[in-house]
Amino acid sequence: MFNNKTIARLEEMLDAAIEGNFVESEYDETKISRLESRWKEFLGSSVLSNKNLENERHRLEQFISDISHQTKTPMTNIKMYTELLKEEAARGADASIEKISNYASMIEKQNTRLEFLIDSLTKLSRLENGTLAVVPKEEQIDKLIATSISAIESKAKLKNITVTHKKDESLKALFDLKWTNEALINILDNAVKYSPEGGAIEIYTEQFEMYQAIHVVDNGPGISEEDTAKIFGRFYRGSEVQQEEGVGIGLYLTREIVAKEDGYLKVVPNNKREGGEMIVYLRR
Amino acid sequence: MSILVAENLTKHYGQDDTLVKALDGVSLSVERGEFVSIIGTSGSGKSTLLHMLGGLDTPTSGTVIIDDKDISKLKGDELCIFRRRKIGFIFQSFNLVPSISVYDNIILPIQLDGKQVDKDFVSNVIETLGLQSKLNVLPSKLSGGQQQRVAIARALASKPAIILADEPTGNLDSKTSQDVLGLLKTTGKKFNQTMVMITHNDEIAQMADRTIRIEDGRIK
Repeated sequence: MFNNKTIARLEEMLDAAIEGNFVESEYDETKISRLESRWKEFLGSSVLSNKNLENERHRLEQFISDISHQTKTPMTNIKMYTELLKEEAARGADASIEKISNYASMIEKQNTRLEFLIDSLTKLSRLENGTLAVVPKEEQIDKLIATSISAIESKAKLKNITVTHKKDESLKALFDLKWTNEALINILDNAVKYSPEGGAIEIYTEQFEMYQAIHVVDNGPGISEEDTAKIFGRFYRGSEVQQEEGVGIGLYLTREIVAKEDGYLKVVPNNKREGGEMIVYLRR
Repeated sequence: MSILVAENLTKHYGQDDTLVKALDGVSLSVERGEFVSIIGTSGSGKSTLLHMLGGLDTPTSGTVIIDDKDISKLKGDELCIFRRRKIGFIFQSFNLVPSISVYDNIILPIQLDGKQVDKDFVSNVIETLGLQSKLNVLPSKLSGGQQQRVAIARALASKPAIILADEPTGNLDSKTSQDVLGLLKTTGKKFNQTMVMITHNDEIAQMADRTIRIEDGRIK
């Protein structure tokens, strides 16, 4: 069936693959040359899947160390304020009610931060290991935007920020409503956080042949060109915004969600326009 | 594991007084699954570089290694077969075959190589690029953006080691460009496809995972 030369070459190919140094001999129109190329392709993709596993493990390690690092600060703060609170309370009648209530509200704030952090991490891990799958189907864009706005409305009101959105019930795209809501809320939440008092957030849509875009524009400081690639990293915080509350997980989660439904995000850097602009592209 | 390594590439035209160094010692490497953009103004050497990387032109000196093979050592027919099997090209001018259907265009590189068409994979690619309803029409019946989507499908379908895209949106209006770039970005991730894209536009370059800037034939 096969001649000895072919068998010998096949054996060589296997040996080389085991040693990890397989190289195609020459390129011509023979079947054996084509087979060599396919063999190389197969070996390449198994290297890639091994590398992906390796990356996955590294990511998990990094993730765990990130969590312990991120939880440390609020935990330490809670401990410290609890100590202060106890000391103040121990002064009995001389204790300052003002100080006590101040410490209590500090503890509350740190607690909220911790809660938010753990909540985000749980969502992220559910998303990444697929426990709560992202299932895109045809949905109304308006519904998505309206639900997301209602989630941040009270926060916006506290800072006197107006949120505008022109309705258009005809627009549809392919997305998972629940998860994408989460994603859009994260973007709006950022817009509120970084907008000045009395600012304005504008949401508008734009249709493409393949994608449906949602623009979120605010009049905050925006994102510098050099930061545009970094902001989607886990626990990344812009240099000017360190004092604002937040844990830097929102945009990472947002990007993961949108990528799972074949969409993508784009940031318009602040040298291109004033203020901040983030665009979500969803598949139509 | 780099899928593409270029070392100390130079390309000189003319000599002495008229010597032009289109490429002047360029080294770079691209990892499997990466989406890299090479950005430069016209005359920066970016197109020359892409031609070297794709084996469309030979460097004056230096080496290009794709999938562990030094392509500067390949000659004539061998290089031609190598390109067909290992490299997917996406050009500014789409370069589809006008006389055959969209579907036949997509599977052409696979058929030229005498390989079996992986039907599941190809239909996944077609669906991802939104071409299901266009498979039986001739390319001339399609808009520019749709033609470029066919070119992307054609490049992906043969599962090449690397896709090289030369100003893929150069002939498209800005809105269609955004569509095509979005598809390049998302399909690359979805199908684990390594891509290198040449552009002169900052905003387009930003769509990639990593940007390499080239000026006067050198990497900045």
